[in-house]
Amino acid sequence: MVDAVVEPILEVSGLVKHYPLTQGILIKKVIGAVKAVDGVDFTLNKGETLGIVGESGCGKSTVAKMLVNLERPTAGLIKYKGEDITRLGGRALKAVRRNIQMVFQDPYTSLNPRMTVGDIIGEPYEIHPEAAPKGDRRRRVQELLDVVGLNPEYINRYPHQFSGGQRQRIGIARGLALRPEVIVADEPVSALDVSVQAQVINLLDRLQNDFDLSYVFIAHDLSIVRHISDRVGVMYLGRIVEIGKDEEIYDHPTHPYTQALLSAVPVPDPEARERRERIILSGDVPSPTNIPSGCRFRTRCWKAQERCALEVPLLAVPAVFRLVPGPAAHDSACHFAEEKQVVPPEEPTDDLGNGGA
Amino acid sequence: MPEQPFEPDRAIAGTGAGGAMDLATSEAQTLETTPGGPLGTGPAAKPRSLWSDAWRDLRRNPVFLVSALVILFLVVISLWPSLIASGSPLKCDLAKAQEGSQPGAPFGYDGQGCNVYTRTVYGARTSVTVGVCATLGVALLGSVLGGLAGFFGGFWDSVLSRITDVFFAIPVVLGGLVLLSVVTSNTVWPVIGFMVLLGWPQISRIARGSVITAKQNDYVQAARALGASNSRILLRHIAPNAVAPVIVVATIALGTYIALEATLSYLGVGLKPPSVSWGIDISAASPYIRNAPHALLWPSGALALTVLAFIMLGDAVRDALDPKLR
Amino acid sequence: MLLEVRDLHVEFRTRDGVAKAVNGVSYAVDAGETLAVLGESGSGKSVTAQAVMGILDMPPGRIGGGEILFRGRDLLKLKEEERRKIRGAEMAMIFQDALSALNPVLSVGDQLAEMFVVHRGMSKKDARAKAVELMDRVRIPGAAQRVRDYPHQFSGGMRQRIMIAMALALEPALIIADEPTTALDVTVQAQVMDLLAELQREYHMGLILITHDLGVVADVADRIAVMYAGRIVESAPVHDIYKAPAHPYTRGLLDSIPRLDQKGQELYAIKGLPPNLMNIPPGCAFNPRCPMAQDVCRTDEPPLYEVDRHRGSACHFWRECLNG
Repeated sequence: MVDAVVEPILEVSGLVKHYPLTQGILIKKVIGAVKAVDGVDFTLNKGETLGIVGESGCGKSTVAKMLVNLERPTAGLIKYKGEDITRLGGRALKAVRRNIQMVFQDPYTSLNPRMTVGDIIGEPYEIHPEAAPKGDRRRRVQELLDVVGLNPEYINRYPHQFSGGQRQRIGIARGLALRPEVIVADEPVSALDVSVQAQVINLLDRLQNDFDLSYVFIAHDLSIVRHISDRVGVMYLGRIVEIGKDEEIYDHPTHPYTQALLSAVPVPDPEARERRERIILSGDVPSPTNIPSGCRFRTRCWKAQERCALEVPLLAVPAVFRLVPGPAAHDSACHFAEEKQVVPPEEPTDDLGNGGA
Repeated sequence: MPEQPFEPDRAIAGTGAGGAMDLATSEAQTLETTPGGPLGTGPAAKPRSLWSDAWRDLRRNPVFLVSALVILFLVVISLWPSLIASGSPLKCDLAKAQEGSQPGAPFGYDGQGCNVYTRTVYGARTSVTVGVCATLGVALLGSVLGGLAGFFGGFWDSVLSRITDVFFAIPVVLGGLVLLSVVTSNTVWPVIGFMVLLGWPQISRIARGSVITAKQNDYVQAARALGASNSRILLRHIAPNAVAPVIVVATIALGTYIALEATLSYLGVGLKPPSVSWGIDISAASPYIRNAPHALLWPSGALALTVLAFIMLGDAVRDALDPKLR
Repeated sequence: MLLEVRDLHVEFRTRDGVAKAVNGVSYAVDAGETLAVLGESGSGKSVTAQAVMGILDMPPGRIGGGEILFRGRDLLKLKEEERRKIRGAEMAMIFQDALSALNPVLSVGDQLAEMFVVHRGMSKKDARAKAVELMDRVRIPGAAQRVRDYPHQFSGGMRQRIMIAMALALEPALIIADEPTTALDVTVQAQVMDLLAELQREYHMGLILITHDLGVVADVADRIAVMYAGRIVESAPVHDIYKAPAHPYTRGLLDSIPRLDQKGQELYAIKGLPPNLMNIPPGCAFNPRCPMAQDVCRTDEPPLYEVDRHRGSACHFWRECLNG
């Protein structure tokens, strides 16, 4: 899906979101801050899918909200086609919103239960009347239903009459209504059953080709992210610790956190699993109100040394790999980056049929 | 191990929006197995909205029809009591005191010798006006203030919460004695004003809470991400999802307002004779309950019927606004 | 056999009709064995477990038939009083959401100690000591200090450990874990799963692991029972099922999971949706979604065919499925 011309559509730099912690009933006093996002940089190219993975509380959903302007960053820039959109308001903001849309995680709360499917998918046209003439809207809504694989006759039904997977399709149709260029999908399949997940992922894949979309795909499931992404960023405690092309991250990870995360992914194959080394991290993620000094992963890292507590590692190609071009030479925020293959390469042919009993 | 109330898998929970509501996808070729009902009849079907669907639903709901008829009847006799009652409610004859049912006075006479039927019919105007106006005032003021506070949060929300706390601390009867004793007008309006003043914090709290709950849903975020204005989000997304508890509490409160009017009248700070109201009659008849129960029964019955009709109406409207119950 | 469920039927009466949640489920677990019950939402996997524990909400639930033999006694014939004695002491349950399963206003130490005071009649002091010991067992760092903390002061993984400690407190013979790691992050998931497997070996308990995630169970389960629309469609030792599924539903599930070590183009997707439990298709419930369905599948409900001594498949064409 990577075209010949690499053209950035979103450029994020130094993105920060701190939520102040306050005390007091009427007069509030700031006593600290939850550092949900603490300096995130990435670019999204046209037609590409950037996966962002991380555990709960790493700030990935907050990044998503800032991308679609649901949260204002404390600091940093989000440039859409070269223009910073974080300080926009009024008409300019509304115009940008047409081009960056979101698909939500929970199909049960992301659709208004008291609106018909037609009203839900048609609402974008009411908010942006210039996007479609009034008489044409109903037809467009039905077209969208068809595009996401639902029967256009369902236009007068209510969300509760649909299953989770179908609701997620409705959410996707709403996101597509204004023909955006970027879709930010925040865990779009994690609330769905396994057999339905695959349907929705295939749909997202197909829509990307048909509508020339760029995706920011946020998830905690590394297998799904690998399936859909061209590039992947791994987040830990409000920062991206490693980012690169999908093979670089999955087959040649250099950051210890990425390696631990990959090794912990359950693989539905007991034999493949026996071939894998497992790294079990000790302890829990520290609180985002009290982030460790230096490298924020050092409290759980088996490689941590004194330097890690003193010096913040930068997200860049580590020095050891700088001179040798190759898949290990990608951005990784670790002082002691070293390549480690965690996911064993695919077996030549793992024939399922001949196993028998 | 603590025993937990346990939810069966989503799909089984009847009304639950489970994975098993079998609308066919494009993958499944069939469309007919839809227990969802008569909706979505064809591509040419008229666009529907929550309100038109709710109205369709209400027109077919017997509970709604009965309660609406009762309320319509009450409104008509409030406007034109002489339609069904002849004579004046103020024409009393002590000689007939406590007499039972007889021609010309189907409900008998009360302790002062007044015609209970005529007084019950004429009392409807005051009682219904007090009940309806106080409820409307309380519901409007309370839900607007509470809703805005819940939606915007922040400083004014804290201020409003403290103000409602203060109002909750005012004892209703004592407050009525103090505030209404300075009023000289013998109309229902000061009484209604007093009820709105003391009643709105209750609704405001409920509205604030349910707006905060509705606000946290992703569909509100989704609308915001589309660029929807605050007023659109409030009116289209939050209000329909937050209004149910307000309707329930407000219709139940309607009865209390009618009764409160009686209490205030009894204490001498509400309406005074020659005004006629169910409240005045109920309190006047209570000392004679052993000798003349009918004098208490008829106005109380009228009050109960009115309250019931409004509660049923409120329930029907609330259910009609919930598509899951169709 | 420690626990044997035989031909269990459970239905729910709802406003819209009767939902048949469990339609003739049979499974067995022995001491020291781990059975994974795998299924999507609405497959009846949790309802079966609730029926075994005796915590099904009745009404709307109703047990339509079958037996639940625990150490040879049919639990369904016992009085509520007797079942309550079994719950907690002889069988215990671990829930998905530890935060809501723990009482927020009691310290975790008090909640653990209560088990010993109520069931074992221990003194408060001894019970408290036992609580610390248990928290140590599930490897909560600094157990002696943290025993006074409240549930919200623990992280998700730690809370799940406390749930496990509570389930283990009275050393039950059977533990039912309903999606014990679904709410946890992958790195924590692995810790909790390992702990659970280790304790199960140590105490030689029977463990029923209810999950929707084929990956999680791969290396802890001995056997897997796959449920669909309230029935078991395939039951087999864990290695066999991953190597060569004998039911098209199992095969579809395995194929539709994106793999970490494979970047495929289009994911295999099982077409259609799980059936409405009020209106389960005649014949094989999976037939409308099955790529192998023939006429017989639409008319005859397949029994659980014996594939070999250790495995069964409820598919008319299990041979064809097994051979790809």
